[in-house]
Amino acid sequence: MDIGFIVSNAVVLACIYGTLAIGLSITWSSVGLINLAYGFIFALSGYGAWLASQYVTANGIVVLGAGVLTGALGGMLVCALAFIPIHDKPNFTVRGLIATLAISLVGTQALLWFFGPRAKNLPEIFGFWKVHLGGIILTSDKIGNVVTSIAVVTAVLLWMRSSRRGLEIRAMMMNPHAASIVGIGVRKTGFYVMAITGGLAGLAAVLLSQTYYISPFGGLTPMIKGVSIALCGGLGSVRGAVIAAIVLGLNEALTSRLLGGQYVLITQFVLIIVILLIRPRGIAGMLDRAREA
Amino acid sequence: MSAIVALSPPPALAPAPGKRAVLTVKGLSAGYGPMRVIHDLDLIVSSGERLGLVGLNGHGKSTLFYAIAGLTGWQRGSILLNGVEVGRTRSQGPGRYTHTVVRQGLALIPQGDEIFHGLTVEEHLDSGAFTPRAWKERKARKERIYAIFPPLVKLMKTPVGRLSGGERRMVSIGRGLMADASLFLVDEPTLGLAPKIGKSVLDALMSVELEDSAMVIAEQNVALLEGRVDRVIGMHAGKLKGEASAALGFQTRREL
Amino acid sequence: MAGAWRNPLYLWDVEGAEEEIPATPYASPQRVWDEARESKTPMLPVGRLRYYYKWPGHGGALWSRLRYWPTRRRVLNIRGEYNPKTLRREKTIVDKRPIWWALGLLAFMLAPLIMPGGYQNTLLAAGATFSIYAAINLCWMLIIGTAGIYSLASYAVVGAAAFGVSWMSIHLGLPWWALPFVGAGLGLVFGVIIAIPAIRLDGFYYALLTIGLNELCRVYTLQSKQFGSSTGGLYGADSYVPDSWDPFDQQLLSYYACFGLLLLALALYRIIDGRRLGRILKMAPEKREAFAEATGVDYRRARVWVFVVSSVGLGFIGGFYASHYRGVSFSIFGFDTVLLGLAMLVIGGIGRAEGAVVGTAIVIFLDKVMISTGPLRLVLIGLIMLAVVLLLKGGLFGIKAQFRAWRDKKKSERRSIRSEKGGEMLPEEAAETKDKDVLYWRRYDKMQRDFLKTLVSEEVIEEHRKQPLGQHSEPLERLLLYFRRQPLGDKYAITVVQPFKAYRIVAMSGQRGVAPRIVEDKIYASQNEAYHGVFLRRVQDLLES
Repeated sequence: MDIGFIVSNAVVLACIYGTLAIGLSITWSSVGLINLAYGFIFALSGYGAWLASQYVTANGIVVLGAGVLTGALGGMLVCALAFIPIHDKPNFTVRGLIATLAISLVGTQALLWFFGPRAKNLPEIFGFWKVHLGGIILTSDKIGNVVTSIAVVTAVLLWMRSSRRGLEIRAMMMNPHAASIVGIGVRKTGFYVMAITGGLAGLAAVLLSQTYYISPFGGLTPMIKGVSIALCGGLGSVRGAVIAAIVLGLNEALTSRLLGGQYVLITQFVLIIVILLIRPRGIAGMLDRAREA
Repeated sequence: MSAIVALSPPPALAPAPGKRAVLTVKGLSAGYGPMRVIHDLDLIVSSGERLGLVGLNGHGKSTLFYAIAGLTGWQRGSILLNGVEVGRTRSQGPGRYTHTVVRQGLALIPQGDEIFHGLTVEEHLDSGAFTPRAWKERKARKERIYAIFPPLVKLMKTPVGRLSGGERRMVSIGRGLMADASLFLVDEPTLGLAPKIGKSVLDALMSVELEDSAMVIAEQNVALLEGRVDRVIGMHAGKLKGEASAALGFQTRREL
Repeated sequence: MAGAWRNPLYLWDVEGAEEEIPATPYASPQRVWDEARESKTPMLPVGRLRYYYKWPGHGGALWSRLRYWPTRRRVLNIRGEYNPKTLRREKTIVDKRPIWWALGLLAFMLAPLIMPGGYQNTLLAAGATFSIYAAINLCWMLIIGTAGIYSLASYAVVGAAAFGVSWMSIHLGLPWWALPFVGAGLGLVFGVIIAIPAIRLDGFYYALLTIGLNELCRVYTLQSKQFGSSTGGLYGADSYVPDSWDPFDQQLLSYYACFGLLLLALALYRIIDGRRLGRILKMAPEKREAFAEATGVDYRRARVWVFVVSSVGLGFIGGFYASHYRGVSFSIFGFDTVLLGLAMLVIGGIGRAEGAVVGTAIVIFLDKVMISTGPLRLVLIGLIMLAVVLLLKGGLFGIKAQFRAWRDKKKSERRSIRSEKGGEMLPEEAAETKDKDVLYWRRYDKMQRDFLKTLVSEEVIEEHRKQPLGQHSEPLERLLLYFRRQPLGDKYAITVVQPFKAYRIVAMSGQRGVAPRIVEDKIYASQNEAYHGVFLRRVQDLLES
């Protein structure tokens, strides 16, 4: 019962944080931007979903859609501010990193200003029902979270694998110079990428708000978890992010079972540092230095 | 000499009789930072023409191609591609407008292997088909490429990163040929390849039916182009020097 | 003069001289010269040299220079030279920054004297805060700027040291004077722990990891009872400010104590950045590490050294922080603290001490003065940071260099436009002949021919036909002079086939002993006709050239 609860919790969190990590990973490897405004996009889309549930309808799909849409808009905003003006200037990576941090500072403070410090909560978008599975009670939001996040991430990955835009994004991930030679516009593709990854953040925000509240600074912890997973899996690798999400989720479950909740972050970082010391570019880290040159 | 020549009216830039001008370059200067690589260059390429561009290393062949695609550090001058002005005076943002130029009907096959090492050969060829029409016809077009480069059929599903140099070059050229382009710029197709493979790659390029489009091949090895192209232009120190139809062999015409 | 030429010989009754004949109007040869010399491109200004004030005196005097004790370094970088015109000795201060530093620090030291009474408390407290944060940022700047390690965990080191010494002070009764040193020890331990991943990780992996470490510290202290999770921080540490003093003296003491800390941090920055370690790291800038390594620079070791030394400094500041505020709150681990700190560095400009200090001053000013506006002030700070990152390459102190680079770019663009045509010799021309005289002669000759072409007209030809020899009108005279001056090779001449009956035109070979060649079959009946034939040929050649 206890173990089952912890494991199921860990799986749910791993799914959500994995979604965030994959978003971060795709952003980094395709447009070369470390999007530390991800926490802001996360919080923003939470508020978008909240507004939709307050003023439009509390229908789960609408709320989810509103969150994803706001996230996509937030991603495009970050792209317009931090990617478009400086992407062909010298020192882009550092400046992009700092720019996204600045956006994060401005954005979260603006959210605080607009919505006040009080946390909001979203309606239960998956309804109220339970499933007993071999002694483990799985609530509706857990199943809903896992299924939705896996489905959406799989859909995004499939889309990237099969469609033309996906081909463009993947081509840009591998060789931006050659991509422009075959007629792929870096700026336009950048907007696509940031919209998609922003949408993923929005999805994660709505899903996580089934467990936690929405607050202006609520995006920070999920972002840091997402960043840790992306780091651990290797920036730019979707497979690595999935594996890392599972490993870290397992670690979280085991630590809180064996040592206690307050040691989760410590063991997690020790684990990440050990993994990074062994493989400096994460589990499935890109061993080539394509992006560095 | 050229200061004097410049004062007399410039030679008329006109396409070959009965042909359409695919590319008209007028007064193009381009370079990187403080370095000026191309000096006031005029060039016209008419449809259905295969043009050889020969010259030593560092005399601006690749830069000319990059300038047409908007990839140089800075450039100035007029470039008409199918009658549409694609050259712009700019001093930064190399590659920012390249995709729009490419969509006007340019296929640049760059020097070396600018490939996406993780994509398979098939996806690679797909990525070359950027116009909606080419994307719709990509199956047929791929068949055409496979007919030109038979070795690629077996490698369809292999990631390009695993191919040998010659195969990569085939993929790179194939990607260029997938496009719905009216101007093919081929930069040093035989560079770094074994002579035999280089020859076969060049033969494959020659077997492409140009119809209304045109092809410019930059090459250091004049002997390889001998008798295969319609016209050969020499390039020296960022200027075009001398011209000969390929049948005559290459010789510099002394001006003045 | 227009349209007619009066023959001056007419009055003397010279044979064949007509009083007035039609002629082309006078045209100045200067026009062609001007046209050819003129560049059609606009003569854009290309800037001027940098201006330095010149001080009188002997700047090169090695013997009486002020030096920093105990180094052999000069206080001011002064260049001395002789003025080439007046031959007087003069000197230039190449780098004026030490003067600005001295003035700024002096002003900061004297500021309490002129503070208005009402704001004295606020200003003294803000000054103390500024000094502490500036000291932290200087150490952080060493890590980010000098060592090039993108660590975002500097505040975490400060916080960890502060929490450690507060705990020790409360529970073990550590006196205030020991706090900074114990803090330095804690900083060393923390620095070494954090430095381990920095050996292997690349820049951005490390930045992300340190964000995580920061969060780890925050969550850990927030959850542990020992560090006062209930009171919002750990308070009650021993302070260096005696409680018995009156409040104003206490504030003044803390102000100057913090100022002292700032001076120490500046000294640390100077010692590390300006000396061996800093120089080694300047030899290995980002993306050139491989080259530096190949030339024998052990930059990794230097980086870790800088990192560890700065961490010791940060720990020292952390100990001081605890004794200054009598404890420490969790907010030092907050993401916003890191962001504000980064804003200070970025606004000032990464990689320079003045950037860290001035950036801190700006952000602290906005943060403390506009405290009533609530979150809006942070939005403002964030917007400034964003603007600086997007528009400036090196923060506020990089503006000068950036402006100069921009102006130089414009200058060189304008130069290249200027020299497009007409101006100097093009490289290819230079390659063709070694003799530059020939080059310029050709240019001149071209201009002359261009002018003479405009003189050729029906009237001139008619005039020559009538009278090939003798006084001619001005245009014809010019043409004939030019023709006569031509070199002997291929020059036309007349050969007598039969005296007074038959003449024919030949062309000279230009070589001694080689006979002239015959140009045409036509036989002229008289000498004058032959002269005219030669003239026509020459005119034709001129027009064709």
